[in-house]
Amino acid sequence: MYILYSLRLAIQSVWHEKWINLLSVLTIAAGLFMITLTFFSVYNMDLATKKLPEKFSMMLYLNNDLSEQEVGNIMSTLKKNIAVERARYISKDKALEELKGVLKNADYVLEGINENPLPASIEVKLRQESVSISKVKKLAADIRKIKGIEEVEYGEQFLNSIHSIKAGAQTLGLLMISVMSTGVIFVCYSTVKIMFYRRKEEIETFKLLGATRGFIRAPFVIEGGILGIGGGVVSLIGTMALYYTLFYKLALTMPIFKIIVFPSEVFIALPFVGLALGVSGAVIALGRIRFS
Amino acid sequence: MIHFTNVSKIYENHAALRDITFSIEKGEMAFITGPSGAGKSTLLKIIYLSEKPDEGSVTIAEWELSKLKESSIPFLRRNIGVVFQDFRLLDNRNVFDNIAMALRIRGMTEYEVKERVMEVLKTVNLRHKADSFPKTLSGGEQQRVVIARAIVGEPTVLLADEPTGNLDADTAAGITRMFKEINAKGTTVLVATHNKELFRNTGRRVLKIDNGTIVGEEMG
Ligand SMILES: Nc1ncnc2c1ncn2[C@@H]1O[C@H](COP(=O)(O)OP(=O)(O)OP(=O)(O)O)[C@@H](O)[C@H]1O
Ligand SMILES: [Mg+2]
Repeated sequence: MYILYSLRLAIQSVWHEKWINLLSVLTIAAGLFMITLTFFSVYNMDLATKKLPEKFSMMLYLNNDLSEQEVGNIMSTLKKNIAVERARYISKDKALEELKGVLKNADYVLEGINENPLPASIEVKLRQESVSISKVKKLAADIRKIKGIEEVEYGEQFLNSIHSIKAGAQTLGLLMISVMSTGVIFVCYSTVKIMFYRRKEEIETFKLLGATRGFIRAPFVIEGGILGIGGGVVSLIGTMALYYTLFYKLALTMPIFKIIVFPSEVFIALPFVGLALGVSGAVIALGRIRFS
Repeated sequence: MIHFTNVSKIYENHAALRDITFSIEKGEMAFITGPSGAGKSTLLKIIYLSEKPDEGSVTIAEWELSKLKESSIPFLRRNIGVVFQDFRLLDNRNVFDNIAMALRIRGMTEYEVKERVMEVLKTVNLRHKADSFPKTLSGGEQQRVVIARAIVGEPTVLLADEPTGNLDADTAAGITRMFKEINAKGTTVLVATHNKELFRNTGRRVLKIDNGTIVGEEMG
C-alpha cells in the first residue's frame, strides 16, 4: 500500500509550509474553541432550566365550604396523576399561620381581622419531566375540572418565557455551531487548495506515471486531517485552560462559576471533530480528479 | 499492440493529426520521424492518454481507448513507460526519488523500490548521481534519468519522445543501444525523433509523418 508514502508526503508538506499550516491550525483552533464555548453555554442553559422546575409548583385554591372528605377525595385524585410528584394540603388555619410566620413582627396588619380571609389550598409539586408548557397547561385544565377547586395558579408567564429563552438559545447555538463548523471546513479547504495548486506540476507528472486518484488525494486528505487534529488539540488546550481558570481561580471569589458543568467527553471529542472537519475540507478542495 | 484507425486531432482550428492509420506489433521497435510540428508528440500523447483524438479509434493491447473508464487510465498508463520530450522531472526531488516515483505510485514497498531503482540506475550508468537534483545534471544525464524512470516499472510499451534531443552522436548511439536491449527483452518500443542518425542501419520500421499525415514508411 502507498499509504505510508502518502503519510510521508503529508508530513513533509506540513513541515515545508509550516507557517501557512500553523496559521490554519490556529484559525481552526479558534473556530473549534468558539464551537465548544457555544456548546457549553447551551448545555449549561439547558441544565439550568432543567433544574428550575424542581422548584416549580402549582397552587390549587379550594372552595370555601369543603368537607374533610371532599378534600381527601381531591387529594387522592391528584396523587393518582402521574405528573404530580407530591401534593400538600394547606388548611385555612395553616395558611393564616404561615402568613403570620412570614409577616413576623409586622403581624399588626392582621389585627382587627376577625374572620380568616385565606382560602384553603393544595400545593402541588410536579415531576420534572412533566414541566413542559403544553403538559402543564393540560394538567392545569384537567385540575380545574375537579369539583371543589376554585382556582389554579401557576407561573404560566414564567414557564413560557423560560421555554422560549431555551428554544431561542438552542437555535442560536445551533446556528453558531453550523456557521463555525463551515468556517473551519473552509479554512481547511483553502489551505489544502493552496497546497494542491503549489504542487500542480508534480501532480500532473504523477498522473502520467499512472498514479490513481487515491494516491493523489491521500497526502492532501491526510494533511487536512493533520490540520484538523492540530486545531482540535490546540482548542482542547484552550478549553482546558478556561476550565481551570473558571473552576480553580474565579470560582474561589465568585462561587457562581461552581455551577457550570463541563462534560469531559467534549474534551476528548475535540480532536476528532477537528479531524472530521479537516478531512471534509480537504475532500471538497480536491474535488473530482480527472486523468484526461 | 498499438493500432490507430483514421485518427485525427484538432487543436482549436489547427489539425495536428489527420486521418492517421498504422499499427505497431507486439514486441516491435519502430520509429516515427518528421519535421518539427509534424505531430509526433501529439501522436504519442494520444497513446498515453494525455490527449484525446477528435476522430478515429485507438487500441492499445486489447483496450479501446475511447471506451476506457476514467478510473482505469492509471492502470493502463502503468503499462506504458514514457520518455517525455520535456522530461517532466521533479526539481524538488533527487534522481533516486524521481525514478522511485514510478514505483511508489504502484504501492511498492520501499525495500523493493530501492532495489529496483538502484538496478535501473546501473543500467543508465547514473548510480553515482542518485542523490543529485535534476537541475545539477547535464542534459544527457537528465535524459537518462527520464529513461530510467520510464523503464523501471518494466512496462509492456516504451514511448520515447525525442530521447536524444540535443545530445552528441556518441551519447545518442548509446541510448539507441539501450532501447534495443529493452526491446530485446520483449518491450514494444516506439521512438519519435527528427534525428535520422537514430534509426539509420537499425533495420527497424520508420513511419514518416509530415503536417499531421503519414507520408511514407521505410526501413531504417
Ligand atoms: N496544446 C496545444 N494546443 C494547440 N496547438 C498545439 C498543442 N500541442 C501541439 N500543438 C500544435 O500541433 C502541432 C503538432 O505538434 P507536436 O508537438 O505534435 O509536434 P512535433 O512533431 O512533436 O514537433 P517537435 O519535433 O518540435 O517536437 C504543432 O503545430 C503544434 O503547434
Ligand atoms: Mg514533439
